[in-house]
Amino acid sequence: MSAVSFPRLRVHAARFVPWLVPAAIILGWQAAASTGLVSTRFMPAPTDVVAAGWQAGRSGELWTNLWVSFLRAASGFLVGGTIGFALGLANGLSQLSEKLTDTTLQMVRNIPHLSLIPLVILWFGIDEEAKLFLVAIGVFFPIYANTLHGIRSVDPQLVEMGRTYGMSPLTLFRRVVLPGALPSIFVGLRYALGIMWLTLIVAETISASSGLGYMAMQAREFMLVDVVVLAIVIYALLGKIADTLTRVLERTFLAWNPAYRTI
Amino acid sequence: MTATTLSRTIDAPAVRTAPRPQETGPAASATGVAVTLRGLAKSFDGHRVIEGLDLHIPAGQFVAVVGRSGCGKSTLLRLVLGLEQPSAGRIAFDTAGALRAPTKRIMFQEPRLLPWAKVVDNVAVGLGEGVPRAERRTRAQAALAEVGLTEKAGNWPATLSGGQRQRVALARALVSRPGLLALDEPLGALDALTRIDMQDMIERIWRAQSFTAILVTHDVAESVAMADRILVVEDGRIALDLTVDVPRPRRRGDAALAALEGRILDHLLRERAPART
Repeated sequence: MSAVSFPRLRVHAARFVPWLVPAAIILGWQAAASTGLVSTRFMPAPTDVVAAGWQAGRSGELWTNLWVSFLRAASGFLVGGTIGFALGLANGLSQLSEKLTDTTLQMVRNIPHLSLIPLVILWFGIDEEAKLFLVAIGVFFPIYANTLHGIRSVDPQLVEMGRTYGMSPLTLFRRVVLPGALPSIFVGLRYALGIMWLTLIVAETISASSGLGYMAMQAREFMLVDVVVLAIVIYALLGKIADTLTRVLERTFLAWNPAYRTI
Repeated sequence: MTATTLSRTIDAPAVRTAPRPQETGPAASATGVAVTLRGLAKSFDGHRVIEGLDLHIPAGQFVAVVGRSGCGKSTLLRLVLGLEQPSAGRIAFDTAGALRAPTKRIMFQEPRLLPWAKVVDNVAVGLGEGVPRAERRTRAQAALAEVGLTEKAGNWPATLSGGQRQRVALARALVSRPGLLALDEPLGALDALTRIDMQDMIERIWRAQSFTAILVTHDVAESVAMADRILVVEDGRIALDLTVDVPRPRRRGDAALAALEGRILDHLLRERAPART
């Protein structure tokens, strides 16, 4: 195998390997559009999408919408994530709290949160609260469930060790329980970030007067396919950014774990 | 810590039970704690695990507790450490001249290191709370040096071998200079050669620090190699209480040790033989 005999080449090549498939898709797409294989009425060429992005960026429309969407996503994530994390901790640490709330939460969890959209529109209209509420609900459950699971799966032998070595409950939490639950909490964080975008886009597509989803819907009305595709490409990039961010966090906080040391 | 230095300066060689001619320095002074059990009993769900046990362990003695699995030897250890509450009876600790309640430490069967803390921080866990930061580090480093792992201080536990992890656990148990060290089959998961190395290391540190040691093990050879005294526990009682009169350092394969090992094994096997038929 040549890859084995040239380890340095392999290291350099490894960086580009993940991008090979996206690059091939874009090239094929461009070729199909240029040769007229696919009608640009339905699928604009990548160059058209880039041009649309350039235009929307110059007019400032893109940045305003992006910023509005980001604020909605972040505030909803903060609210839902904080509540989910707090309840996950409470139910993981206190049997009483768990008995009191877990059954209720597990029932509510099985309701698809997007099915609440009609109700949410009735309650909040199409204002910011509606989006914040939907994102917060969507983010809440993965964070809650994974925090709870993380705390429950902390090695009881380590907890016993901490107790016999005289750790106070606070120290025990800080040094044993929380670090032990962290890998699972990060799994929740990843899921939550995905759900955050999904919820926001759906909410903005259905009812909004600004934001990325709104931009895409407006473009559809005027048959601006390139802007629609542009919005979709931006979603993909935002998803990738969120994922990279979690990876960096994981590598920082889970450096002790052999499973996270590479990549 | 002041209490530690105080107790270390107290000279009480008379408390030693076994003679140790090689050691005359100040490190040989006793810091061990004497343990006395009176009518100790423990039952789980009405099932008696320990029954009316009386025992006195002099300060600084190395006691091995052997027996078949389920005989109650681990429960006995957990009772002494306060991990379980006795159903009846009492446990008294007596530290000659020490000002504080004695520090009791345990080395578990598994290393039980925090995977997210560097080796040196894992050792510092043994100091408990209330020790200043700089002192924690120097003392942890010193304890690591004692088990020969100075160069691994900044490593994650996941990068160590099984034997090295157990040595870190030993350093963690000893960093606070305990009066009593409980060893709950700490070498059971190690390979034969690493086991012997660890036995020698524990014996060497015990002789230097002279804490009281209680080793629970199912390995009779290990108990005769290391202990001053061997207790054979059966059905929650002490069936045999033997003194090992072999001078240290002991040679592995020594005839006297082998004879003692044979005697204990005979006892353990004979006890169960009629029950099987």
